[in-house]
Amino acid sequence: MSAGYIDEMHEAFHSDLVYRSEDIPLECSPKPREMEQTLHGVMKLNGLVIRSLEEIAGRGANAVTYRAGKKFGHEVAKYFQKREDVEGALHELSDLLRGQYSFEVWKPEDKETFIIEENGETFIYLVFHDCIVRQTLRRNGLEQGGPLCQTLFGYVVGAIEEITGRKAKLEIVHTGPNACLKKLILK
Amino acid sequence: MEIHVDKDACVGCGLCVKDCPMNVYELQNNVSVAVRPNNCMGCLSCHEICPAQALEHRGIYAARRHYIDIKVCEMLRKVV
Ligand code: SF4
Ligand code: SF4
Repeated sequence: MSAGYIDEMHEAFHSDLVYRSEDIPLECSPKPREMEQTLHGVMKLNGLVIRSLEEIAGRGANAVTYRAGKKFGHEVAKYFQKREDVEGALHELSDLLRGQYSFEVWKPEDKETFIIEENGETFIYLVFHDCIVRQTLRRNGLEQGGPLCQTLFGYVVGAIEEITGRKAKLEIVHTGPNACLKKLILK
Repeated sequence: MEIHVDKDACVGCGLCVKDCPMNVYELQNNVSVAVRPNNCMGCLSCHEICPAQALEHRGIYAARRHYIDIKVCEMLRKVV
């Protein structure tokens, strides 16, 4: 390795910044625009992990990612306020997901209320608008609804269970390029 | 939600009718008509599938698009 190369490297990682241990960064660094490459790198990596997992584990991949997501949902929601009412729980969930996912409660026009009872099931439709999973899948040319979506599923179910103390289940009704419709079944 | 179908562009293939999970469209005289626009939840599957680019939604929430590369867009902007 040439001395010039080493010097160049040292120079790239040297600054005149005075860093104190009590300094708390007040903003994200670098600027979001400069983070683009990092974001795309993470999306590519996630896509490859999921593709390989599917190749090796086949249909079992969904169970693995669902479980991982569910654990994560329970883990993160532990620190959130416990709520028995579904509306309150959805508020908490929306705070929890902010920045990566956004969703709204939705109903078809022939339904009177957002909490729907049909065929002995009680459920709520959720339309997911912003979703980092969808972006990752599109970045990698992967189909929606597979193992990476199951991670989000598990995450939502885990968080709802943790917040309400009730069992829940999430079903994909439709996946689209701009939004996805999901059914949150309450037990 | 306001949905507009360009009647001149629509080729009457019925793909939007089949693909829309909310049964928003119906084929009438070989042209798609948005008969239940209030049932639309904004997935835009119909836009992706329509071969004639005949559809327009107004008042829709456009999800953030992280998968698009800023550098590719900059290059495209130079040529388009
Ligand atoms: S955006 Fe989705 S729900 Fe709305 S009309 Fe198109 S396919 Fe149907
Ligand atoms: S998909 Fe497009 S071209 Fe085909 S019927 Fe629908 S609007 Fe017309």
